[in-house]
Amino acid sequence: MQIGLDAEQRAFAQSSGALAADLAAGWDRGRGPHDVASPEPSEKDWARIVDAGWTALRLREENGGLGAGTVDVAVLVEQLGRHSVAAPVLGTLVAAEQLQALGAPVATLEAVAAGELRVAPLLDARLLGFAPSADDALAWDSAGATLAYAPDGSAHALGEPLPATDVTRSVRRPAGRVGDASLELRPPTDDDRDRLHAFTLTLLVADLLGTMAAALDAAVEHARSRTQFGKPIGSFQAVQQIAAEDLVSVEATRSALYFSAWAVDALPATEALRAARTAKAFASRAGVAVCQDVVQLFGGIGMTWESPVHVWLRRAQTDRTSFGDEHAHQAVLADLDLTER
Amino acid sequence: MDFSDSPEVARFRAGLRAWLAEHLAEYADGVSYDSAEGVEATHRWHRALAAAGYVAVSLDPEYGGRGLSDLYEAVINEELAAAAAPPPPPIGHIAHAVADFASADLKGRVLPGLLGCTESWCQGFSEPGAGSDLAGLSTSATATDDGFVVNGQKIWTSWAMWADRCLLLCRTEPDQPRHRGLSMLVVDMDTPGITRREITLANGSREFAEVFFDDVRVPAANLVGERGQGWKIAQHMLTYERGPADMGWTGRLGNVLAAAQEAVRSGHLPADDVLRRRLAAVAVDAQVLSWHVARSLVDRSSADPGSSGSVDKLLTTRVEQELYSVVDDLTGAAVVVGDQRPFNEYLWSRAQSIYGGTQQIQRQIVAQRLLGLPRG
Repeated sequence: MQIGLDAEQRAFAQSSGALAADLAAGWDRGRGPHDVASPEPSEKDWARIVDAGWTALRLREENGGLGAGTVDVAVLVEQLGRHSVAAPVLGTLVAAEQLQALGAPVATLEAVAAGELRVAPLLDARLLGFAPSADDALAWDSAGATLAYAPDGSAHALGEPLPATDVTRSVRRPAGRVGDASLELRPPTDDDRDRLHAFTLTLLVADLLGTMAAALDAAVEHARSRTQFGKPIGSFQAVQQIAAEDLVSVEATRSALYFSAWAVDALPATEALRAARTAKAFASRAGVAVCQDVVQLFGGIGMTWESPVHVWLRRAQTDRTSFGDEHAHQAVLADLDLTER
Repeated sequence: MDFSDSPEVARFRAGLRAWLAEHLAEYADGVSYDSAEGVEATHRWHRALAAAGYVAVSLDPEYGGRGLSDLYEAVINEELAAAAAPPPPPIGHIAHAVADFASADLKGRVLPGLLGCTESWCQGFSEPGAGSDLAGLSTSATATDDGFVVNGQKIWTSWAMWADRCLLLCRTEPDQPRHRGLSMLVVDMDTPGITRREITLANGSREFAEVFFDDVRVPAANLVGERGQGWKIAQHMLTYERGPADMGWTGRLGNVLAAAQEAVRSGHLPADDVLRRRLAAVAVDAQVLSWHVARSLVDRSSADPGSSGSVDKLLTTRVEQELYSVVDDLTGAAVVVGDQRPFNEYLWSRAQSIYGGTQQIQRQIVAQRLLGLPRG
């Protein structure tokens, strides 16, 4: 039993955190919804992302990737959440994993790994999971993506970004088939499908963890420096009690992430999926709850566009809904555990 | 990252399972704190576990432990819960305090009985005037030529009615500021001047007592550590008491959850969509709690559990109280009419946010020591 990050993973967290912070510093939420910067990275930033190996991270080596384990990918995604990175790294990782599970040709996967082919996953209109076809589908975290593939291998161009809660990531609709880009894909085995699902849920847990941890850290910093009644507000018990429960939620989410990330590569697929659903249900509820508390802890300033607080809440809410919120996963778990079979 | 058992842990687990399969039936019967026979059965069970080498395994071998990490304490708790066995003796925190602070002479006199479970212990901390504000306690131990004379009163003292010894937190330095004036003594419970009075809890449980000390003489050799070190030792103990090694009930919560799930599956307890969803939600929380406890154990190995034990206790409180609340709601009218065990178990879950430091105190510890928020 060895629970926690090893030295290499800690170093990767540090280096990817540094790049994530740098990318985030170049993005500006502006003065209001009208002038928020696009989540589409500049060519230069995309090149830095590709150079860092993020687009190739999870793909297997024979497909031009680095073959990283899910724990390593989770380490990266936590940093993306922590810094609210406005670039479609998560969407790319998920789309690449799906294409690999569907047996996409090596050349296609190599192009994704090299950052030359920019793809986004297609989700159903309720954002509950991968779309069965392009009809009514949504291309998720798709800023700057040129194509999205449906499970039948058809390739789709993407339209303009839709109005969306999250200002750091885009959702777009398929906007017409690109005939010459279509691929021959095969339906995944049950195991591959479950493992892909578990992997994806785990990454959302990682993004939620990074987001909620960043929000709580900022709220604690604010509570230390903001004074009222001649004292820092963080010295008041009413404030301390809220922040303490939030740290419990953050630490529990981290434990859930560690198990779920380990399970994707170590346990039978059905068990891995069950763990991931459990972690996603927990993190969805806890992540939004913590970000809501953070709005409260910041007081009036937390309701302004200028403050980063709404960016965290927007991102957490989007992570929560994407691939099923706590209610969706509780319903599945209730059927597994409470129905006579 | 690896949540699976190492070969050593797997071997230990298998050995314990085999021991339980062979011996549990022999000892488990009648274990309770509700009667003299129940208490005798409890002590028999504890002695059997100790003789088999499953008590205080995280203590150094020189003190009678096995020098294993806290993880093994958790394995014992898990396996006993899985086998529906009575809990192990709750002495880990006392044993660590004595082993880490007492003189060689005192350790030699008391540890064999403590670890062998041939003597039972209680812990005299809380007082009527000192609950959350423990450092404000007033039970005094006045130094004499050959020891101390103790006067005062302790309350909520678990198992005091049958204890042979008491680890007593008391004030030896009245001229020192609050925390610095405390010391820890080992007091033999048959010393003249000690009076015990049982406290029956709201759920009918009878394991608590109040203890009165009137001119009770304690030899100087029974001082644990040094004079004025009592607060430090108490903190050391409370972190163990809040920490996962002594939180064996996470496995027991799993049993309660599994029983509720089975009752819903079989239709024994009818559940509408809302109740099914609440049960699924608390199952999620209970699962995350067990992962979290595993992580806490390994993170700290056998180092001092520290303030993050408060995080674990707060998480446990959330899960336990919601679980019993859901089970009560599932049970419906049968809670209020008929066998009172479900209600009494629910009632006891409300104590989770009070004992070992209230929920509010735990949050304050987390806020000030882990988040670094300023003291008020």
